[in-house]
Order: sequence, then structure tokens, then C-alpha cells
Amino acid sequence: MNMFASCMITALILLTLPIIMTSTKLYKDKLYPYYVKTATSHAFMISMIPAMMFIYSGQEMVISNWHWMTIQTMKLSMSFKLDYFSMIFVPVALFVTWSIMEFSMWYMHSDPYINRFFKYLLMFLITMMILVTANNMFQLFIGWEGVGIMSFLLIGWWYGRTDANTAALQAILYNRIGDVGFIMAMAWFLLHLNAWDLQQIFMSANDNLNLPLFGLLLAATGKSAQFGLHPWLPSAMEGPTPVSALLHSSTMVVAGVFLLIRFHPLMEQNPTIQTLTLCLGAVTTLFTAICALTQNDIKKIVAFSTSSQLGLMIVTIGINQPYLAFLHICTHAFFKAMLFMCSGSIIHSLNDEQDIRKMGGLFKALPFTTTSLIIGSLALTGMPFLTGFYSKDLIIETANTSNTNAWALLITLIATSMTAAYSTRILFFALLGQPRFTPIISINENNPYLINSIKRLLLGSVFAGYVISHSITPTTIPQMTMPHHLKMAALAVTILGFILALELNLTMQGLKFNHSSHYFKFSNLLGYYPTIMHRLAPKTSLFMSQKSASMLLDHIWLESVLPKSIAFFQMKSSTLVSNQKGLIKLYFFSFMITMALSLSILNYHV
Amino acid sequence: MSMVYINIFLAFILSLMGMLVYRSHLMSSLLCLEGMMLSLFVMMSVTILNNHLTLASMMPIVLLVFAACEAALGLSLLVMVSNTYGTDHVQNLNLLQC
Repeated sequence: MNMFASCMITALILLTLPIIMTSTKLYKDKLYPYYVKTATSHAFMISMIPAMMFIYSGQEMVISNWHWMTIQTMKLSMSFKLDYFSMIFVPVALFVTWSIMEFSMWYMHSDPYINRFFKYLLMFLITMMILVTANNMFQLFIGWEGVGIMSFLLIGWWYGRTDANTAALQAILYNRIGDVGFIMAMAWFLLHLNAWDLQQIFMSANDNLNLPLFGLLLAATGKSAQFGLHPWLPSAMEGPTPVSALLHSSTMVVAGVFLLIRFHPLMEQNPTIQTLTLCLGAVTTLFTAICALTQNDIKKIVAFSTSSQLGLMIVTIGINQPYLAFLHICTHAFFKAMLFMCSGSIIHSLNDEQDIRKMGGLFKALPFTTTSLIIGSLALTGMPFLTGFYSKDLIIETANTSNTNAWALLITLIATSMTAAYSTRILFFALLGQPRFTPIISINENNPYLINSIKRLLLGSVFAGYVISHSITPTTIPQMTMPHHLKMAALAVTILGFILALELNLTMQGLKFNHSSHYFKFSNLLGYYPTIMHRLAPKTSLFMSQKSASMLLDHIWLESVLPKSIAFFQMKSSTLVSNQKGLIKLYFFSFMITMALSLSILNYHV
Repeated sequence: MSMVYINIFLAFILSLMGMLVYRSHLMSSLLCLEGMMLSLFVMMSVTILNNHLTLASMMPIVLLVFAACEAALGLSLLVMVSNTYGTDHVQNLNLLQC
């Protein structure tokens, strides 16, 4: 039992060693990436020991190290909560990160600042670990902000490109809006419950918790790219592919879902927030699946796929199944990271070509990548007994048999079939058919770094679902009996999506391009959401402020109201009233003639 | 009606004719207007002084004040026209369009 705490702390400290080494000459060395990768793999292996101890004995632990400060009546200390969630997530995250670091040793090989890249990846990993092992909200917030900052630095890695800078800034802004919710929850907990420790919050919360839970939901919306704060996730694909694989598929974007899972004892009691969560997740999963159907950039399709799966996780929380959502987080990490790595392999082989309309025929040219792409897509769509099946199918079954919102359920099913549709689209355009890329190519997948990393995640995608779901302690009882049509619902809609997408793609292959219909434009332009939000709102406020400052104050109140209006009025009324032409001499002359004539006539009248 | 009155009345009629019939300068009309005022002033003063209408003695002063105001108004109009056209030729006044 003593090994638990020391192993975990050792694993965490092992991760920080390469960061400490940056001030030495190891950092300038060409072998620094190898050192970082080895540190991560050793940390993974060491953290498997506490994980297996936890699986065997079910023992949880809180390590409370260092008393930080006491703010009047609240004591803040650095404490690590090693319970079910963090014990299983830490090895999974370390495994995926190990593979991604090995992959990025191949992908970023020609980058002159590769050492800094690895340092950033490692700092991201450390802050993510802080986030998942935090026992109080302050430490969680440190991790939360840390992953946000590292996301900014990594998305804008190629900072010479304006799109990358815009995307990084967009990520920060949208995350910030979510942070407002987080801080609102923290403030509420501080004021009403005098605690930021999770144990004390769960013990002493017994009145209306709508406000802080809504704040946490807002934080999850920002960090996990739910509908309303979602445009940053597809824009974040401007970063290098390892960054997309690590941050924006497996690790950072699940931080929002992880936060809601951490607070599940509070959310169990509050049906309002559960309904809100369910509807938000359902809308997100459908909307992003619709947007993914017509994208042409392979990374964007996978990004929207991530967003859709995140919506599915939020739906799971909404039907009060936090453990299932957590299982989906762990299994999703494997195949989504692998999908990103395969697309990175394709992109690099085709000399930085990301448009799927210019790929094709890679089935015979990149066999290993093809294999892993197909297996990853099948795992994503929930093919029976691959990894995704153990979490996704359970989620759909539980949603089908629970007393919940029928509309949200239907939307989730439609989104599931769309998952199959866009996965088919990726496979069809990237792998099948004749090549559509330029002949001068450098298709090569011989590098052992690439092969080994994808192979590890491939084994994970196939077996990890079985291994994890049969090893964990049983939590909520899954629904065992249900009618046939409900049991087969997920599989049926997935097969429907596959067949439909395949038939459509095959049929449309030889036809002439018709001009885009309204639905196509809606889907391709992401539902017009970025266009409206990023352009209309700032333009309106700038327009209003400019008009009120210059037109309203200067032109109208200072110039037009009295001076110019009086002048204008006088002029108009004088033109209206006068019908003379200004022939003064004539008027005077006629006046004189009249007077002379009248005087002379009067003279003779007597 | 004695000769004095006819004389002054004739001066008035002459200025009136001068004001109503002028050829090119607006200034001549204004000058004749002043002439009319002057003759009216003299006639009024002579009548009042000859017939001892004591209580009406302030009337020439009042007439002078009003004449001054009206002369100022006329001059301001002249200055306006002169600012726009440079001269005060009457043929300019036909082009005023407002």
C-alpha cells in the first residue's frame, strides 16, 4: 500500500525533469526529443503500478502535500486526488502521449525548434496531469489555465502564418468565455460552502445548486467546444498534427467533460442541469456531424468528429452516467489520436496536402497507414468488439432505455449515423480510387518512429476497450434487458450511414458538379456560425459606436438641432411663401407710375 | 399752404422719385431714402414749431431714431449683396435664387 503514493508522485516528478533540464546544455542537444519521449514512457510504466493496485483493491487515496496558504477560513493546500477517474486516466493519457511524442519525432524532424516543441508538449502534459489529479478547485484551475496557455502556444507554433495566429487567439477567447463560468462556480462555492476542496463541497451541498453547476457547464462548453463556443476547435487544426492529436482529440478537450464528471455527485441531484447538459450535448453532436459531412480538409473532418464525440460524452453526463462518459473518454483517446496520426502520415507523404479531393489511391501506396485508418474509423463508429463499441454502444443503449428526452435521443442516433457517413467519406476520398495528387511525391512510411507509434495505438484501438471495461470496478449497473430494436439501434443506424455514404459517393463519382444547394452551403460554412459571430457582432458594435459618436453627438446635437435647422427652415419657408422674382426696379417704377397716375386723376376730379 | 411746405414737399417728392427710379446702383436708392427721411424731419419740425404743438415735439427725435434703424438695415442688405457680387449693381439682384 505504501507504493501507491510514492509511485504516483515519482511518475509525476519524472515528467517534470526534462523541463528542469532546459537550463542545462541537454536542451541544446539533438537527443532532447528522445529524452522527453523516454521520460514519458517511463512515467507511463511507473504509473501503471498504482493503476493496477487500484484495479485490484479498489483503494483510493488523497495525497495532501504542502500547505499553501490560508485565506481567512479556507485552507489551500497542494493535494492530489487519486481516485477511480485519475487512476485510469493518467496511464491512458501517458500512453497516448508517449505514442504522439514518438510520432512527432518523425513528423517534426526537420523543424529547427524541435526541442522547444517537445518542451511545450511536455508542459502541456504536466498541466493536464495537474488538472486530472486536482483535489481542490484552485489546483484544477491552475491545470485548466495551463492547458489553455499551452494550447495557445502550440496552435500558433507556425506563427508566421496569420491563420495560425488567428486560430490561437480564437482558442484563447472562446476558452476565456468558459472560464467565466468556472470562476463563477468557484466564487459561489467560496461564498456559500466556504470550500474549494471537492470532499467538502460534496459533503455540505444541500441547497439549490443551479448557479454553480451552470457555471461549470459553461466552463465545459468553452473547453470542450460545445455548441455556442465551438468554432475554435476546427480552427485549431492550424497547429501541427501532433498538437491536434494530443490536445484537440484526446486530452485537452476532454478537460471540460472531466470537470463535469468530477462534480457528478452534485449533478445527480439536479434534473434541470441534467436536462440542459443533455440538450446541449445533443445539439452539439448533431450540428458538428452535419458540418463534418461536407468539409474538404482531412484534419477538419477529424476535428468535427472529435467535437461530435465530445457532444456524445456530454449527452452521457446528461443521462446521469458519468462512469460511461469517462470510459468513452479513455477509449476515444486511442482511436482519435491514431486517426490524427494517420492523417499526419498521409499529409507528410503527399508533401503537405490536406485536401481530400487531392488525395486518392493510397490504399496500395501506404498500406500500414491505410490499415490503421480503417481500423480507427471502424472503432470510431462503434464496430462491435473494437474499442469504441464498449463505450459508445453502451451509451446508446443506456440512452435508449432511460427515461429521457426523446428529441435529444433521436438527434444522437442521427449523429451516430452521420459519424459512419463522414468516416466513409474520408476513407473513400483518401484511400480508394485512382490517385489525384501530383506525380512528384515522396510517399514513405518506412520510419520506425512512425510505424511503432501507430502500431501501439492500433493495438490500443483494438484491445483497450475490452481490457479496460473488464478490469475496472463495477460502478453503475448497465441495462441488461431491452427490446431487440433498441439493442440493434446503434448498429443499424451505423450500417445505414455506411451504406448510404458509400452508395452516394460511388454514384456521384462521374457526374458533373452541380451548383451548391442551400444545405451544402449550410454544412460547408459551419452553419454560418463563425460568419455571424465573428463578423456581425463586432461590426454592429463598431458601427453603433462610430455612428453615435460622430453622427449623433457631433453632427446632430451640436450642429443640426438649432443652427442648421433654423437656417434650413427659414430658407424653405421663404421660397415657399415668396413668389417674387426680385425685379426691384420694375416694382419701384410701377409704384411710381401708379402714384403719378392716381395723383393726376385725383387732381382733375375736384 | 405756404411756400415753405410746398418746397419741402417737393423735396420729398423728388427723393421719392429718386428712390423709385434708379438705374444701376442700390446705394442711390438708399441715399434717396435718407433724403426722404430728411425732408420729412424738416417738414415735421417746421409744422410743430410753427403751430406750437408742444407735446408733439418728441416726434422728430423718434423719427430720427427709426430712420437710423432702417438705414442700418438697408446698409446691411447692401453689404450682403456687395459681399456676394463685389458691386451693388441692381442687375445682380435678378439672379438671387433662394
